[in-house]
Amino acid sequence: MSYSFTLNGQTVEATTPGLTPLLTVLRDQHGLQGAKLGCGEGRCGSCTVLVDDQPVAACLFPVANVAGRAVRTVEGLAAPGAPLTPVQDALLDHGGVQCGACIPGVVMTLTALLESEPAVDAATAKEALTGNICRCTGYVKIVEAAVAASGRGDQA
Amino acid sequence: MSVIGTSVRRADGDDKVRGAAVYGMDYTEPGALTARVLRSPVPAARIRRLDVTAAAAMPGVRAVVTAADAPGRSGMFFALRDQTLFATDEIRYAGEPVAAVAADTAAQAEAAIAAIELDLETLDAVLDVETALDDGTRLIHPDWESYETLVPGPRRGNLAWEARTERGDVEQAFREAHLVVEDEYRSQRQHQNSIEPHAAVARYENGRYVVHTPTQFPFNVRGRVAQLLGVRPSDVRVVVPTIGGGFGGKLDAMLEPIACVLAQRAGRPVRLLNTRAEELRTCGPRENAVVRLRTAVAADGTILAQDGLIIADNGANSSGETVACANVAPLVLGGSYRIPNARYVSQVVYTNTPPTAAFRGVNAPYCVFAQEMHLDHIARELGVDRRELRMRNLLRAGEPMVNGQQLDDAYLVEAMQTVDRLRPWGELTAASRPLRGHAVVPLTWITNPGPGGAGVKLEEDGTVTVASAAAEIGSGAVATGIRQIVAEQLGVRFEDVNVSPTDTDAAAYDNGAQGSRTTFGMGNAALEAAGKVREQVLDVAAGLLEADPADLELVANAVRVAGVPDRQLDLATVAGTALMTRGPISATGAFVAPPIPFDAGCMTGALFTHFAAATYHAHLAEVEVDPDTGRVTVLRYAVAQDVGRAINPQMIEGQIHGGVVQGIGYALFEDLRLSDDGHVVDESLETYRLPTSLDVPPIDVAILENPCPYGPLGAKGAAEPSIIPVAAVIACAVADAIGTPIRQLPLTPFAVLRALREGRRSRDL
Repeated sequence: MSYSFTLNGQTVEATTPGLTPLLTVLRDQHGLQGAKLGCGEGRCGSCTVLVDDQPVAACLFPVANVAGRAVRTVEGLAAPGAPLTPVQDALLDHGGVQCGACIPGVVMTLTALLESEPAVDAATAKEALTGNICRCTGYVKIVEAAVAASGRGDQA
Repeated sequence: MSVIGTSVRRADGDDKVRGAAVYGMDYTEPGALTARVLRSPVPAARIRRLDVTAAAAMPGVRAVVTAADAPGRSGMFFALRDQTLFATDEIRYAGEPVAAVAADTAAQAEAAIAAIELDLETLDAVLDVETALDDGTRLIHPDWESYETLVPGPRRGNLAWEARTERGDVEQAFREAHLVVEDEYRSQRQHQNSIEPHAAVARYENGRYVVHTPTQFPFNVRGRVAQLLGVRPSDVRVVVPTIGGGFGGKLDAMLEPIACVLAQRAGRPVRLLNTRAEELRTCGPRENAVVRLRTAVAADGTILAQDGLIIADNGANSSGETVACANVAPLVLGGSYRIPNARYVSQVVYTNTPPTAAFRGVNAPYCVFAQEMHLDHIARELGVDRRELRMRNLLRAGEPMVNGQQLDDAYLVEAMQTVDRLRPWGELTAASRPLRGHAVVPLTWITNPGPGGAGVKLEEDGTVTVASAAAEIGSGAVATGIRQIVAEQLGVRFEDVNVSPTDTDAAAYDNGAQGSRTTFGMGNAALEAAGKVREQVLDVAAGLLEADPADLELVANAVRVAGVPDRQLDLATVAGTALMTRGPISATGAFVAPPIPFDAGCMTGALFTHFAAATYHAHLAEVEVDPDTGRVTVLRYAVAQDVGRAINPQMIEGQIHGGVVQGIGYALFEDLRLSDDGHVVDESLETYRLPTSLDVPPIDVAILENPCPYGPLGAKGAAEPSIIPVAAVIACAVADAIGTPIRQLPLTPFAVLRALREGRRSRDL
């Protein structure tokens, strides 16, 4: 089967069985390796991408379900060489990145959160991040970064 | 302005937040084959027949390997060489590799694995660490006597290793004691669960194995691959892509030797990547253990003597660090309190279970849990305040720990006082009410003393490059710390210091990202090399500036005559001139921690004998227990940690937060269970629960600077220790909340409800 969708703003076609995980299509057919295969069972969130602005676990999400929809990955946020988005910038500013394997997923979850919530406080950020396991940071600085990025978003 | 003590951004951060960093799990090579491993379905068996003929003839299959292809015998740190890469005649755990296949596609590799004929005669599995040493128990390694060891150590049959530390006259002290208290504690397996699974891509090139792997300790993987394959270490080259977490789980060779031997047989690159289930089933977790403590105290609570037995589960072989770290248990039990007479026996026992391995804090978290619950028992018996009992027995500067090592810079009192300023004990105690509890725990811990070498060169454009095989595990030690130290020494901007990719061919030996050693050990080596580069720069610049080198200073990427701002040269000019006059400016540095006096005679079977660059800590927790559900909520947490000198405070805070949260997982729910038939029960993250953002309490952090004379700019290790006291302090706080002692980890809701019931029952009696 063939499925047409937009990937980071460009129309693409995936010719593959409909139940193929979106993550496989992104990584193997489009060379987008930002989203990670951390657990392959939808638990760790390191494969998080946005489908019509909502975070999904791409390791489980069937490619058939993105037909006609808009998929955004971490590579689509800041163009190479262009400035980082407020979320990306705040994560580095607050020391929220260690090994970084969860970070592409965290960035996408927080991007979706900040796009839908005008002002993010720590409790909201924690709630939003429950689907993203970070084994390194203890989440404290990631939550601080989310709150700070939200503030910056208001000013922009 | 000095870059030391500033929270610079990590040099690898931009790529990480853009999703551009290439991790081990992302890496591959042109033409790479896909590998799969046939693993044993049972924990104990004799191999009657293993036939790969049919599998090898299947479409797309390029290589099939078995024990015959990997003749070597090895063990972690080469401590006890009881491991072969593939099971030879006998299966010793469920999940043990039996054979491996490399094929054009994953489906072909899986089909070939299914076609391997394996005929097994099952044996009685020895699964219980406490009965494995009983007379008449089947020996898991009948040939144990023939195995080579790094140092002599007491062992026999299913006792893989024993480390003993004994000082003073224990029996005499027990006879004279006011009170003797005895307890037993149990703890579970905890899995590292880095987000990135183990991965390896190997090729065979010009007669050498080249393997890309996200390892914490490239030189260990090199040596272990060589030993398992029966080649020289220099026949193996290890290159490290970005590492997606390790926590001890990526210290040891795991998939690398399998990928190497397949690549050599196939004549093609081979990629091998674990699933999450394979991670949980086969990659060595923190060992489960039993700790028995018996302590003699005086009427005022002074500890007179302690007798301890630690039984740790090695699993089926010593491919993990459990044997090598056996003596860490005595050191940590006897490292925070004055225990004048002590006898600790640390036993590492074989079972037919997946081998256990290093996890941040190695053997310490459960020893500290046992010690602290036990001290609370003593406090209860004596009617002494729990903190007061600890303060009375705390080691002061200049006093010896259990191995006779004098702790000249002990800072435990200061750490306890700092935590008390953050969360005053008196106020917490006065405000205490049912189902709320608090506790405080001190800790002395090690910085790994191991060797490391670095090269530093000044580039023609005036920037600086460090050649190092240190691995950036995520802590920021390479991405910030080493760079900050070198930038400081040479007066260049942080952004103008680069560090080479991690490659065993390109730089000197490095003891790996373990025991908080990278900023400390590699920092020292790089600092020494940078110091020599500095001298060369000053020498060349002195000639150009017609000044005495003693009058020159390195500031802002330039050499200038002190006090004369217009007489200066940028470093690019100095580097360019040097090229034509004396050759390139470059130097090397090397470090291993200096020897520390201790009483070697009090220990046997000890690979870790002392605490180099010891650090001092205090942790405090406040908890609340829900009596209906048994759920524990950590309300607040406080840490005071001596880091020697804080090179990058933000990175240190991140390490403390991360360790505390891993410790909360260990204390409350993480538990890699084994079934009664020797299989890992929790083979997915659905039942192996990891801490989420909602499990994290507010964490107060106080960084203490108590400089180490042989640390780089005074720094000590900072990354590892924050996990160690967490289970202890939470368990003690929960016990305080429910008025019933805790004897087993983790404190799941079921365990807490059970403890509440038992508490009510014993109070009713």
